[in-house]
Amino acid sequence: MIAPEPNPLAEGLHDYRVADPSIMVILGATGDLSGRKLLPALYNLAKQRLLPAGFAVVGAAIDDMTDEAYRAHAAEKIKEHSRTQPVDATALESFLAATFYSRVDFTKLDDFKALQRRLEELDHSRQTGGSRIYYCATPPPTYETITEQLNAAGMVGGPATHRIVVEKPFGSDLKSARELTQILQRVFHEDSVYRIDHYLGKETVQNILAFRFANSIFEPVWNSNLIDSVQITAAEELGVELRGAYYDRAGAMRDIVQNHALQLLSLVAMEPPLAFDANAVRDEKVKVLRAIRPISDEEVAHATVRGQYTKGWVLGEQVPGYREEKDVASGSLTETFAAVRLFIDNWRWANVPFYLRAGKRMPKRVTEIRILFKRPPHLTFGRKATQELEPNAITLRIQPEEGITLRFGAKVPSAGLKIRSVTMDFQYMTSFLVEAPEAYERLLLDCMIGDPTLFTRADEVETAWSLIDPIEAAWRDGRPPLGFYPAGTWGPPAAGKLLQADGREWHRP
Amino acid sequence: MSDVLVALSAIRNKFALSESRDAEQVHPRNFVMTLVAVAANEAEERVARRACRMILEQHPAQAIVIRDQPTMDAGLLEASISTEVHRSETASAAQYELLTLHVRGAAGDHLAELVEPLLDSGVPTYMWWVGTPPFGKRSFDEALQTCDQLVVDSARFESPYLSFLSLARLVTSPQRHQGVADFQWSRLRPWRETIAQFFGPAERRPFMGGISGVGIDYAGEARGNRIAASLLIGWLATTLGWQLQRAAGGSGGVVAAYYVTQGVKSIEVNFRSVPKAGLASGEIMAVRLSGAAGGKTFNLTIQRDPERPRRIGSDSSFNPRQQPEGGDDAGMELAARRAEWHRDVLHENLDSLHHTATGDAPGESVPKRPTVFNRDRRRADASLVLLTMIDIGGGDTLRHVQRMDPEDAATLLLELLSVGTRDDVYTRSVPAASELLRSV
Repeated sequence: MIAPEPNPLAEGLHDYRVADPSIMVILGATGDLSGRKLLPALYNLAKQRLLPAGFAVVGAAIDDMTDEAYRAHAAEKIKEHSRTQPVDATALESFLAATFYSRVDFTKLDDFKALQRRLEELDHSRQTGGSRIYYCATPPPTYETITEQLNAAGMVGGPATHRIVVEKPFGSDLKSARELTQILQRVFHEDSVYRIDHYLGKETVQNILAFRFANSIFEPVWNSNLIDSVQITAAEELGVELRGAYYDRAGAMRDIVQNHALQLLSLVAMEPPLAFDANAVRDEKVKVLRAIRPISDEEVAHATVRGQYTKGWVLGEQVPGYREEKDVASGSLTETFAAVRLFIDNWRWANVPFYLRAGKRMPKRVTEIRILFKRPPHLTFGRKATQELEPNAITLRIQPEEGITLRFGAKVPSAGLKIRSVTMDFQYMTSFLVEAPEAYERLLLDCMIGDPTLFTRADEVETAWSLIDPIEAAWRDGRPPLGFYPAGTWGPPAAGKLLQADGREWHRP
Repeated sequence: MSDVLVALSAIRNKFALSESRDAEQVHPRNFVMTLVAVAANEAEERVARRACRMILEQHPAQAIVIRDQPTMDAGLLEASISTEVHRSETASAAQYELLTLHVRGAAGDHLAELVEPLLDSGVPTYMWWVGTPPFGKRSFDEALQTCDQLVVDSARFESPYLSFLSLARLVTSPQRHQGVADFQWSRLRPWRETIAQFFGPAERRPFMGGISGVGIDYAGEARGNRIAASLLIGWLATTLGWQLQRAAGGSGGVVAAYYVTQGVKSIEVNFRSVPKAGLASGEIMAVRLSGAAGGKTFNLTIQRDPERPRRIGSDSSFNPRQQPEGGDDAGMELAARRAEWHRDVLHENLDSLHHTATGDAPGESVPKRPTVFNRDRRRADASLVLLTMIDIGGGDTLRHVQRMDPEDAATLLLELLSVGTRDDVYTRSVPAASELLRSV
């Protein structure tokens, strides 16, 4: 597809990213994802004037609702979940005026045909030219039915743009991920499939690339010559909440490590892309994933850790153990904590360990990447003067306190010579004069514009699964054994030992 | 000034030590900028101080408000420093400083020397001239050398025509190294965005070359301040390759200008002033673009929040294809929206209404109060609505209502400070606007 020439009238308009008129069809429009994330994100895009005249939202779900009833439902959800408060009455009213609803039973072709007729009417009255985005805010098992029905009802194809958005998990292993890709690609071209991983929509995640490739001082040291190790932590203080049934089948490795943590790893470790465009960025990410040394069956016991939380105290409140959670099997062996040591076999990262850990019911919610540098080759100031000096470190904080910290040594003000570590702290909250949009806002807008850079490509998903599958297989055989940790701690003892064996320790975020 | 510097240093040390608490390390200062606002009178000083405070509440920075009082006794410098610390649950404490200087006598001619010692090394400096800058004066040129960016508001210029020509000379000067920004240009942003959006879809791109008429209404009486209207036309002309052929001004601020593109196609441009309370002089109220391409006609009408229908006089210098502000039911529609906003007034008077309703003495009971963030509270009534109407071919009129950001000085400054003031599109639009102004 040839991209149109840039709009000359948009030149110089900062942050001008407006899609062409189109209709976004939310399948599963009355569900939790739609109410908590999609509708508030679309409202905020409208409030920021980022939706074009003619843009429309059509909710589709099995519930019997009129347009008006759905608008009332949408208004309620937006007021409850919008990141900008209070909700602006004018922006909301204008957004709701472009919001419609169609009852659709996903198993009934006639319902899809009726939906198609409604969309055609809207295409005409709102001058959208037939462009559509089908957002599957539904569980993955419905994707196959939905794509087939869309195709059968004549809702895909022709000259207009048709895209489909699907949410993670993208399969539960390599085989199922490939099946999902085949299902989607039977109807949609891969360029029109948008796999959404909301982590990639976070400003701070995107800032990893800016930090690395827009500054000349970091990239020269970004390699195994100076970097000792990299730690990636994705911790949550929450338990499984209402997702017990799903989580008990997935576990921390599939839920977080396979996607979020490996995405972060690939952004930290990738080579500079030729340009910040979809294929250049994703090509480099895939190269990193392919360069990760697979963990052999014999190594799994030493290179991975799995754990499950027991009852404990988090943020001053007593919480139940995982097996006591709703919809979780009483004898469940699902891990709520996963840690893994990976190596990237390429020139840049030879022998630099990447430690990844993800867990629930940790002491706090924090996601960060810590790059630990090697010590200076010679202690000029002597051992005594530098005994409190830690190696240099850069911490990229993704959430909740987004920012970057650089640790370096400085002389303690005194007559003698003593050097200790100090930190230089950059905080997004106080250093920029604009508010960061919510991840879904960025990703929805990218999808409307047709920019898939921050979406996951099929080969990324499959490569990530190919790394995880052998680990999962060994874990099913009980290698290593499942460890336990009280809620409110940083994982089972084995997690600490994983690094101690290498002469290192986890950074406490 | 020495006393001011000593006092500033003491305040900063106190903050750093108090934040370090038990740790040996002092807390780092995290200023993101120095904002120097120059005011010529008390009203401008109030505007500057209010805007600076609103910005500082969100961003750790140093603001210096300078009020030049050249006619008062010389030899006296009055200074006040206020500083606040903001603590957040998710970030380190941030400090801001607001320094006010009343400069009397000839010292005001040496602003550069006053400001320079207060500036932090490595922190960008923005100079906001609240009123009309003394273009061409040595003291102004020297003051410019201390800053990285200059911000003005041409809507506040006392002699808009002459001052804008001076601004245009500054903007196009090859010697200039500072960025220059104008609030008037910032206020045009939503209009430019809406116009750009209309021409965004690939199938509408040919319409750009098919524009045959542009009409602009701006706030004011008689000739008023035509800078914004001229800038908008200057932007369209330089972007779309229009060359000015001739222009003429009439009574009531009416201007008719003719442009050609590709040497043949003629574009007729009309603008006129319309009295409107509550708007800065010259602010745009309505823009109409019309034309045809590929066998289809098009009309794009963008209107600023019309509170009440207004009749267009029969002596209008042009006949818009759609009457602005209420030619259809847009006026009523938007009036209804306005009524809804007025409900906010109830919130603001919640206490007195509550006591009236309950009979309780003040302080005896309190009404339920919704949570309103400061940022939104202060923005609630300052914002405006744009109604866009699109007609293509014989199709139905597509209507689109957008809520705009407020246009107070703090908001406009924040936007400028966040995106920078080096704007090539502005730099090339200014000469085209001044060419049009000169030719009328």
